[in-house]
Amino acid sequence: MSEDTYTLQTLWMSETARSHDSVRTAVDRVLDRDRADQRRERRLRMAGAAAILSLVPVLIWAAAYGISPLVRVAYALMAMGCVAGVVAEWLYLAWSRRALPGPGDTRSQLQRTAFMLESQVWLTRTAAIWSSPVFIGLMLICLWMYRERTAAGALTIGVLGAIAWVGTGVASVRTAAELGRRRRRLDEALADL
Amino acid sequence: MDQEHAERFVQLMAEFERPMRRLCAVYADRTVDRDDLFQEIFLAVWRALPAFRGDASPRTWLYRIAHNVALTRQARQRRRDAQEGPLSERAGPEGEWDLRRLALKRAIARLPPGDRTLVLLWLEGLSAAEIEDVTGIRAATVAVRLSRIRKALQPNEVTP
Repeated sequence: MSEDTYTLQTLWMSETARSHDSVRTAVDRVLDRDRADQRRERRLRMAGAAAILSLVPVLIWAAAYGISPLVRVAYALMAMGCVAGVVAEWLYLAWSRRALPGPGDTRSQLQRTAFMLESQVWLTRTAAIWSSPVFIGLMLICLWMYRERTAAGALTIGVLGAIAWVGTGVASVRTAAELGRRRRRLDEALADL
Repeated sequence: MDQEHAERFVQLMAEFERPMRRLCAVYADRTVDRDDLFQEIFLAVWRALPAFRGDASPRTWLYRIAHNVALTRQARQRRRDAQEGPLSERAGPEGEWDLRRLALKRAIARLPPGDRTLVLLWLEGLSAAEIEDVTGIRAATVAVRLSRIRKALQPNEVTP
């Protein structure tokens, strides 16, 4: 080992800065964070399950016994859209978990994370499409209202639905762009390895 | 919580706290970010520990996780310009030695991600074979690249 090499390593190892926390405190913080993450994930899963268990049966019932064929098709589409949304949420969570850094070598880890991110980009970017049954169903309800009830009510619900659809599309494109940037940064790191 | 799992974890943290804090100091500029990265690393260690069967040495296993966490986290953060104040304002009581160490950290932080990973592992005393085990880069390539990086980091180059 050359003198310069020795100096660099000595210089590096001479770092004395330590946390004021004891190891026990640091361990407790990590475990608290792990528990908090698990609670958050459990809440998300329960919210998804609750949506499926509460909303979908009602929508299916409405699809079966709705007032007209148009309304029945609308509710059937909305039920499909809800299921698609919950499945997408679960997929996103599962891919996020698989993208978490683990003990694989750096190159394989970055490749796996980049692949998972790419999948998430695709899922997020297409949110306006896989959520479209909900909004198309809503538009069919508006059409029925326009024909059978009031134009004002149909217009109000239609406009709100359209805003929500466009909002979903814009938010998903933004999120996909951020995920894409993250993926590109990983690619840069990967190219440098 | 499995008692053996918890004991191994505490042992690993006690043993590798300082190397991990040194690594965090290069990957994160602010104290709060360094602490956060440190926690993220050990959170990943805690989650991976039940599957650790001792195929690799605990040291290389832990460095794999640490660098994977640091690189992934860096990709997650928005790029921001480093706010580097004058070195003299951050020197500790050891003066010259502190300044040189700070300059070394900054020089390492400016390296491309791959070079940074290699040099950090080398500075922690890992051999080329161990670095291959951590990064997946062949040992021969590691040696060549380290030789080039070391030239850029000669003590003369990192003096304040």
